[in-house]
Amino acid sequence: MPERLLAYTDKLSVEPDELVEVKVSSPRSGNYRASLVRVICGDDSVEGPGYKVEPVAGVPGNDYPARHQPIPCGSYVEIEDRKSFALSSFSIRTFIWPTWLDKGSEQCILSNWDAATKTGYALYLDATGRIALRIGDQAPLVLPHDLMARHWYLVAVAFDANTGRAILATRRLMAYGHSGLRHFVEGHLTPSATPNRFLIAAWNQGKNATAHFNGKIDSPTIFAEALKPEALLAFPGTRDEPPPERAVADWDFSQGIGGTWIIDSSRHRRNGHTVNLPTRAMVGWNWDGTEMNWSRKPEQYGAIHFHDDDLYDCAWQTDFSIRLPKDLKSGIYCIQLVQDELEEFTPLFVRPLKGKPTSSLAFLVPTASYLAYANHQMDTSWSFDELSSARFTSINRTDQFLEETYSLGLSTYDLHGDGSGVAHSSRLRPILNMRPKSDLWQFNADTHITDWLAAKGLDCDIITDEDLEHEGLDCLKPYRCILTGTHPEYYSLKMLDAAQDYTDRGGRLVYLGANGFYWRIAWHPSLDGVIEHRRSEDGMRAWMTQPGESYMAFTGEYSGLWQRNGRPPNVLVGTAFSGQGFDFATYYRRLPASNDPRAAFIFEGVADGHIGDFGSIGGGAAGWELDRADANFGTPPHALIVATADDFPASYHWVNEELNHTHSAVNGDTCPMIKADMVFFETPHGGGVFSVSSISWAGSLAHNGYDNNVSRITENVVRRFLDPKPL
Amino acid sequence: MLSIDPSRVDLCEEFKGKPFGRHSADLHKMLDLMRWGFARGRTVILCTVPHKEWRLAKFGPRRGTPMQIDQSRAFGSYNDAVWACFRARWKEMTGGECPVE
Repeated sequence: MPERLLAYTDKLSVEPDELVEVKVSSPRSGNYRASLVRVICGDDSVEGPGYKVEPVAGVPGNDYPARHQPIPCGSYVEIEDRKSFALSSFSIRTFIWPTWLDKGSEQCILSNWDAATKTGYALYLDATGRIALRIGDQAPLVLPHDLMARHWYLVAVAFDANTGRAILATRRLMAYGHSGLRHFVEGHLTPSATPNRFLIAAWNQGKNATAHFNGKIDSPTIFAEALKPEALLAFPGTRDEPPPERAVADWDFSQGIGGTWIIDSSRHRRNGHTVNLPTRAMVGWNWDGTEMNWSRKPEQYGAIHFHDDDLYDCAWQTDFSIRLPKDLKSGIYCIQLVQDELEEFTPLFVRPLKGKPTSSLAFLVPTASYLAYANHQMDTSWSFDELSSARFTSINRTDQFLEETYSLGLSTYDLHGDGSGVAHSSRLRPILNMRPKSDLWQFNADTHITDWLAAKGLDCDIITDEDLEHEGLDCLKPYRCILTGTHPEYYSLKMLDAAQDYTDRGGRLVYLGANGFYWRIAWHPSLDGVIEHRRSEDGMRAWMTQPGESYMAFTGEYSGLWQRNGRPPNVLVGTAFSGQGFDFATYYRRLPASNDPRAAFIFEGVADGHIGDFGSIGGGAAGWELDRADANFGTPPHALIVATADDFPASYHWVNEELNHTHSAVNGDTCPMIKADMVFFETPHGGGVFSVSSISWAGSLAHNGYDNNVSRITENVVRRFLDPKPL
Repeated sequence: MLSIDPSRVDLCEEFKGKPFGRHSADLHKMLDLMRWGFARGRTVILCTVPHKEWRLAKFGPRRGTPMQIDQSRAFGSYNDAVWACFRARWKEMTGGECPVE
């Protein structure tokens, strides 16, 4: 595995004079040097504008001792009380929906067992995927019957310390002709009643958790007595069910779905909390399909899906803090770490002091989209990655590191190890593709914009999606003109409302990318720096939600496309995602509307002919992902489509949310819907919107020393949008 | 037929001459077949020195396991690595050597 320095900070959006905590892990001993650098352009390729990352004057670098910090991936529940679970005799009942039976290692369902001391007890899946009971250091009792993945089972164990009799039982809920529904095995063991930490979906390894479960757990209950088999396998609410009032704990995961607390519905209130954000609002064993919204029938959403690669917060110790200079100019910065030949960056987006903008122009850095893609491993998550990109899988050392590291936290583009989709992404972990010298996608592609701003001498403040989520319209109000990134794809309701309010009230928005304002996300209302997304219903999806699981746990909102939520991107920016392809990019041609006097400012000094038939991303300004104007989806009727790119090869593919019925003409060489439309329209109170509708646009800005028609059009628009005269 | 026709030397030559961009319909179909499905278990391209060196490689059986990297050859251009990957995929799918060197 390639060696990596790893780092993250306690915050991404910061102000001058703010204290930032930096958390570092190194594979080596010795010291590393940490410096604050300003990022103008992070593209170090020979085709790009040139790598421009500069030290910040007056902020000397410092050396710090290197140390290794572990990556504690895997979600589970920790119960606050320990002593009540130091049981001699006991019974456990729970529903499970296992998802990774052939993983080849043990996966714990409920336990207070500690692998370090070999004390306590555990109900778990053994390495062959069979139900097992372990007590102390004795050989486990294993039910010699194979489970079926993605099927609900009622699983139970009863152990009588007086007789040593242990019974292990399962009951599959899906009948399949009523064959083989129930299985039992009996054995003899001796008790191990110790007050170890009680966990759900993992067991203890000293202070750590390990043997994480992959799959759903629903309604776990534990008793301080050995119950009869007929009681163990009785469904809740039926005659034989053991009386809930005798339970030591009876956890109800359908309570508090949006948070991290786990509620014990018994009178004892032996509550707990989740660690590393397992996925909640999952359909439970009793979901009957009569409701898709968990908040209306929470009693059918009592399942939590745990994954051994979930990671919300690395919770590393702080290695050093840095106080940002009081006069630090707003911009994109990084903490640069260097140890021998190892180099790492962790970004900081420095906005101006609150209430003190330093420009009329702001770049809204799409940090929500950066999180959505954070540490993505599409190369192995997707069965269709090569067909989508029209390339053989081509990865770099960062991808190799992520592949060979079990989990540094996944992105919302990935599948968990058990094949289920990833719904959460946080910034409290090292993010290896949000830094200079990374792939030209999201963060590093957006530095083509900061590079161009610097080359043109355009002062620009930095604000981020996270600021927009916290402050709403107030975040945008100080600015006459806002620039987007190349791919501002993920928006929460508050963010989208703020952007729409901004243009409705006279703000000017320059949309310098494509496939923006596309997916609906939620930021967690109380946890720091984490988003949720469910890939529901339609759209160009990395994975698909399971039936009944399209409403987000964080807020209860229906996720998926903004278009399907009644807020198509066309309304805000005039265009919406139409197609994508990744083998080469092309050019725009002017349309008659470009001669409209309303559009004259856009093309001032621009000669006739192709626009953007050059560039460092695919060789053209129209490429990778594309947006099309379409009145049927809400493009304002007065919008001017001033140019279009529509000459794409078969490697470009039409978005599937517009395809109600599959057919053969969905590629660039057969489908007229695949276009990049350059659009301008005025908004109320003198505002305006200009959309380039292509991700590769920014890669053309620097061509020919920034003297080209892509650069000229962008500059014409930005300078006009900065002019207070109403549009 | 959802398989590669090993007699189509012309398509190999077309790809070698132009790995990206507009391709003939038959080459497009062949590449779709070569690219269908998960990459795990098949030959992929690993950039080992940024912008300078590429090698062929394979993912391990699952995440968290080492990749197998072909140390016998390094390519000084991405397109050369793409061509080598094409030849490796050809062999994985047809069982025979790609007829174009």
